[in-house]
Amino acid sequence: METLLANLAHGFYVAFSFQNLLFALIGALIGTAIGVLPGIGPVATISLLLPITFGQPATTAIIMLAGIYYGAQYGGSTTAILLNLPGEISSVVTTLEGYKMARNGRAGAALATSALGSFFAGSVATVLVAASGPLLTSVALSFGPADYFSLMLLGLIISAVLAQGSVLKSVAMVVLGVALGLVGTDVQTGQQRFTFGVPELSDGIGFVSVAMGMFGIAEIILNLEKPEAREVLSAKVGSLWLTKEEFRRATPAVLRGTILGSVLGILPGGGAALAAFGAYMLERKVSKGRHLFGTGAIEGVAGPEAANNAAAQTSFIPLLTLGIPANAVRALMVGALIIQGIQPGPRMVEAQPDLFWGLIASMWIGNVMLLVINLPMIGMWVKLLQVPYKYLYPSILIFCCIGVYSLNNNVFDVYQTVIFAIFGVICNKLKMEPAPLLIGFVLGPMMEEHLRRAMLLSRGDPTVFLERPISASMLAIGAVVLGAMLLPNLRKGKDAAMSG
Amino acid sequence: MRAQPAGATWPTQPLKLVVPYAPGGTTDLVARLLAQGLGERLGQPIIIENRPGAGATLGSQVVAEARPDGYTLVMSNIASHGISPALYPGLRYDAVRDFAHVALVISNPSVFVANKDFAPRDLGAVAALAKAQPRGVAIASSGAGSTNHLLIVQFAQATGANINHVPYRGAGPAMTDVIAGVVPLMSDSLPSAAGHIRAGTVRGLAMASATRHPAFPDVPTFREQGVDLVSNSWFGLSAPAGTPPAIVDRLSRETRAVLASAETRARFAELGGTPGDLDAAGYTSFIATEVARWLPVVRASGATLD
Repeated sequence: METLLANLAHGFYVAFSFQNLLFALIGALIGTAIGVLPGIGPVATISLLLPITFGQPATTAIIMLAGIYYGAQYGGSTTAILLNLPGEISSVVTTLEGYKMARNGRAGAALATSALGSFFAGSVATVLVAASGPLLTSVALSFGPADYFSLMLLGLIISAVLAQGSVLKSVAMVVLGVALGLVGTDVQTGQQRFTFGVPELSDGIGFVSVAMGMFGIAEIILNLEKPEAREVLSAKVGSLWLTKEEFRRATPAVLRGTILGSVLGILPGGGAALAAFGAYMLERKVSKGRHLFGTGAIEGVAGPEAANNAAAQTSFIPLLTLGIPANAVRALMVGALIIQGIQPGPRMVEAQPDLFWGLIASMWIGNVMLLVINLPMIGMWVKLLQVPYKYLYPSILIFCCIGVYSLNNNVFDVYQTVIFAIFGVICNKLKMEPAPLLIGFVLGPMMEEHLRRAMLLSRGDPTVFLERPISASMLAIGAVVLGAMLLPNLRKGKDAAMSG
Repeated sequence: MRAQPAGATWPTQPLKLVVPYAPGGTTDLVARLLAQGLGERLGQPIIIENRPGAGATLGSQVVAEARPDGYTLVMSNIASHGISPALYPGLRYDAVRDFAHVALVISNPSVFVANKDFAPRDLGAVAALAKAQPRGVAIASSGAGSTNHLLIVQFAQATGANINHVPYRGAGPAMTDVIAGVVPLMSDSLPSAAGHIRAGTVRGLAMASATRHPAFPDVPTFREQGVDLVSNSWFGLSAPAGTPPAIVDRLSRETRAVLASAETRARFAELGGTPGDLDAAGYTSFIATEVARWLPVVRASGATLD
């Protein structure tokens, strides 16, 4: 305990230097701005800013990049609630109840819940990272490829089950997502798969194109059908204060989300998105307001927002202790560290105490800054969105276009985005949810890698998935969840809950 | 205005260096060391881009097709430019013709490392265990087509042991799984394993150098343990074919200057590698020899894409 306090004190000493504070603030501001403005995500921004970090000390660089990342999480929630545009996958869930709350005139309350819930969860998770980093590492380490595969399969099943509408359609979207994820060059044999001779596809379909097309641009196209209907929303944020009733309902949801998110965050590959989805499902099942889901239940904002922020913090553990980048943003941070001559890995806690503890301290400082940036100044960010649609949409489209183009400096990515935008509109008309597709798309290639590795290690014996207790439990839970959906009564119950 | 000679103003913007493996492996490590020194000398930052997959051929393919303007480079290596041409039937680039090779950067031996708790302490015990267990013994590598992969195949051939090769997207993720005990053994290039062996997170089981390595005198060689295998890998810098010769020359000169610096020499020694001493022409003919050399070796080893 004493060493922990001494370590944290050292971390705060590092983080409170003028330079580190300044860059934490810059990171948080940039992050919020790009989170609010749909189109350019943290991945594109961080890669664009990477050259700037070359000249900075490693700790300052990573603090700024981390600030962008959390900032985008906070900012992403703002657009998720006000515009139904998720900035990142992890804020997809926030759109479900948050946007409905906004439609009910409680946008301010939803934003406050999101910011306060995120802050609370972020603070708790920061302490957790500091206190149990080394311990939690051994938990993540005990996961073998079979366990990862089963965990991801469970993640897919959950994402299909909790999607709106028909489970069958959601499963179809998940499978389609996995199939899209397999397009490209097979990593083990170099064979081209489903590329139809198009060289640009040999590297796979771009995640940003799929996400931006199906969520961002499709949404804009669909909105043009009902012109200016939503401007009212962005204009009326309403009171930021929660009513007593709302506060009473949100508090336990935040606590549950924090716990769930902290646990799911340390699993590489899981991270913030899985945490948010998991928390949403949990709230829909156990919260007092579960009958209100689909109509703007505050628990549906509080739980996932707390969970994704907790997971965003705890997901630094595999990065800082194992050097495993769980997602694109982490991979960029690993890159920034290695450029600085620091190899992320098990030795970093001892070899780079300034960086490790300084980053942890800055996580908390960053959360305080974001609370200030997002709550009292929410009006400023909302103003950014109050621009009439005729100005806003073309600007968003241009931002999206620049963002997508700048990924590889290739127009093919822009065309790809357009195709997915059209596909997103078609899916919407067919009442097929895009979220399960995106989750399948992200998890599919990782699942394939783990599946093949597990099968290689077992020499082709599939019972390995049942032999390992962690894997077997995940599969059992998955089977139960899926089986439950086959029962007509439960399905009706879910549909009723979905349609409110 | 008089026309400027090609490359007179180059570079005016940051360069991109493609690492065809996941972060954390030797290629990545060496690329980042080089990028720092080279970037300072060129006056433009060099941005590393990891494009792993298919035995380092994916990232190399990208660079082979990139615009030859001197702004896109690749860490060419023994896998992508030596062994893979013999191993990947569908390879879409020619390791010699489709590139303007710049300089050899580093060469180093391979090493077998084991999880801390893995019972066998030497190669004999590994082979015995592999024969005793129905599923054999699994050995991880940074990917199919690397020297580390071939070393595994040759080891299995030499000892008749039942070895299960498990390829990864790079040494970084493979090492993580070895530390975690998912795979008990790994065949790795020394630089990426060096830190882990020193830290004691993995055990150095056998070094594939002819004699004991000066940086790791405690790790016995394969030969000492009765398996007559020596395995070296190399890594270098290459650009797409058609890159202006003036730019290739400048890159080659600056790279060799970075390699000659005391700082780089000290760091490479720590990693167990030898700095390269080949210019553009030397490296090009070196690669041509390597491609020719590996074809029969790969055939004889019976190595396949698992």
